[in-house]
Amino acid sequence: MNIYISCDMEGTAGLCSWKQCDPSDLHEYPIFRSNMTREVRAAIDGAREGGARRILVNDSHWSMRNLQLDELPADDDVRVISGAPKPWSMTQGLDAAIDAVFFTGYHAKAGDAATLAHTYSDDVYRVSVNGTPCSEALLNAALAGSYGVPVVLITGDRTIVEESVAAMPWAVGVAVKDAIGFSAVNSLTPQAAREAIRAGAREAMARIAQAKPFVFDAPFELTIETANVEQADFIELIPGFTRTGGRAVRFTSGDYPKLFAAFLAATRIAAAANTIG
Amino acid sequence: MRLYISSDMEGVAGVCAWQQVDARTPHPEYEIYRRYYTQEVAAAIEGARAGGAAGVLVNDSHGPMRNLLFEELPADVRVIFGNRKPFSMVQGADGGFGGAFFIGYHGAAGDADAVLCHTYTPSIIYDVRVNGIRCSEATLNAGLLGFYGVPLLLATGDRTTVEGIAEQMPWVRGVAVKESIGNFAADSMMPAAAQRAIRREAEVAIAGAADAKLFCFEPPITLDVQLVTAAQAHLVATIPSFERTGSRSVRFVHDSYPVVFKAFVATWRLAAMSS
Repeated sequence: MNIYISCDMEGTAGLCSWKQCDPSDLHEYPIFRSNMTREVRAAIDGAREGGARRILVNDSHWSMRNLQLDELPADDDVRVISGAPKPWSMTQGLDAAIDAVFFTGYHAKAGDAATLAHTYSDDVYRVSVNGTPCSEALLNAALAGSYGVPVVLITGDRTIVEESVAAMPWAVGVAVKDAIGFSAVNSLTPQAAREAIRAGAREAMARIAQAKPFVFDAPFELTIETANVEQADFIELIPGFTRTGGRAVRFTSGDYPKLFAAFLAATRIAAAANTIG
Repeated sequence: MRLYISSDMEGVAGVCAWQQVDARTPHPEYEIYRRYYTQEVAAAIEGARAGGAAGVLVNDSHGPMRNLLFEELPADVRVIFGNRKPFSMVQGADGGFGGAFFIGYHGAAGDADAVLCHTYTPSIIYDVRVNGIRCSEATLNAGLLGFYGVPLLLATGDRTTVEGIAEQMPWVRGVAVKESIGNFAADSMMPAAAQRAIRREAEVAIAGAADAKLFCFEPPITLDVQLVTAAQAHLVATIPSFERTGSRSVRFVHDSYPVVFKAFVATWRLAAMSS
């Protein structure tokens, strides 16, 4: 079994502030970087206990070089993708050769009353596919789904875990904390979270046979509402995007990976709008 | 006849250094050259009116695109300000104009003996080709004017730039206000003399508008951009329907030139995020 792990950081146990997951922070980030790494390690250990052999981990947070590599299993069957930008960002390296996907440390979508809620970028006010408001988990799951690969484990705060399991009932959810608004949490301890993730990963392996790829129905319609007008000004430059409002753009395609790539390109060019012209 | 003017600053008489045209980092010389720039645009407008133009739209097309001292322009022209325009240096060109002027233009990235030569963004664009034709800003912008049925009538700037435009568009009248000595030195006309020459040629250009032709790119239109770094190309290639053609190059093909033009703007907007 080949398992792909896309690991984010905001959904790590205890984490409740940007400072704790900002790589430039010298005090709290190193602690939570270690906690993130150990949660990923727990997911790998559980996967292995459940029969996984090859593991591909994609560091999917911020600079995407958070994981402490020497804390991960030191065998040839574990590989880690580090660094940014990557064309496929949080799903880099995901393809049809993967048997199942884990999302660890995930967080709720922009607009949810939940811990550090956002969707790829603070410039995104809301992103929807075929009218469904999407979290990073759902956008990424649909990319995996377009390759026929199911998501079987999601860990993070209760908001994202419950929403994801509702959309993908075959997946195991591990809620390591309950959000109290945007920047406070009621959390498991790190040790308890790791135990829960390890057990969840083991159970997720047993569910692969029954799991389904998550897909939207083609043709796909992507709508992005931006935080500000200037971000939509820039996204509109990308071929294929239509301006649908002061802070809204639309992109349609019969090909989900193309739609997903358009979303990523939109978030990147939107960031360029945040300077003073 | 309605007239469209796209005005840049590097090709103004006397200009030979970035400090003279850098609006973002205040330098005393900028204020001096900003006035010469405004005066060259005013001279072009005066000449155009003498030749019969009525209804002038000026698009400030340099840097932050808010350089013109517009109280020094005739009271009845209109001016486009601000640099976040989807069509950038040729924003508003679809307004039913009988002709266009490029004032203060400069050479393409890589030109020898062209003061401050670059193509839109110096640290990003190494080379641009459309349908295999090497493009300066003038070439790219004239293509959009051509799409809207507007012929380019007059171009001013250094000699390399003006002659480069005349090669691609032989009907365009030119005023070479300076000879470039490399990229950062010039042998220039005095501002007042340059303005007189621009006024005179603008009048002649308007009078001869009937003989001008349109510069158009034939579809399918292939945009080939060579970036300065591989990291920039890596990022730009993430735009759907862009093709990575080399470590530092990308390609985009489309039948509509306005779409191609906006894709080019997206290219350097996005590439700026690579570092």
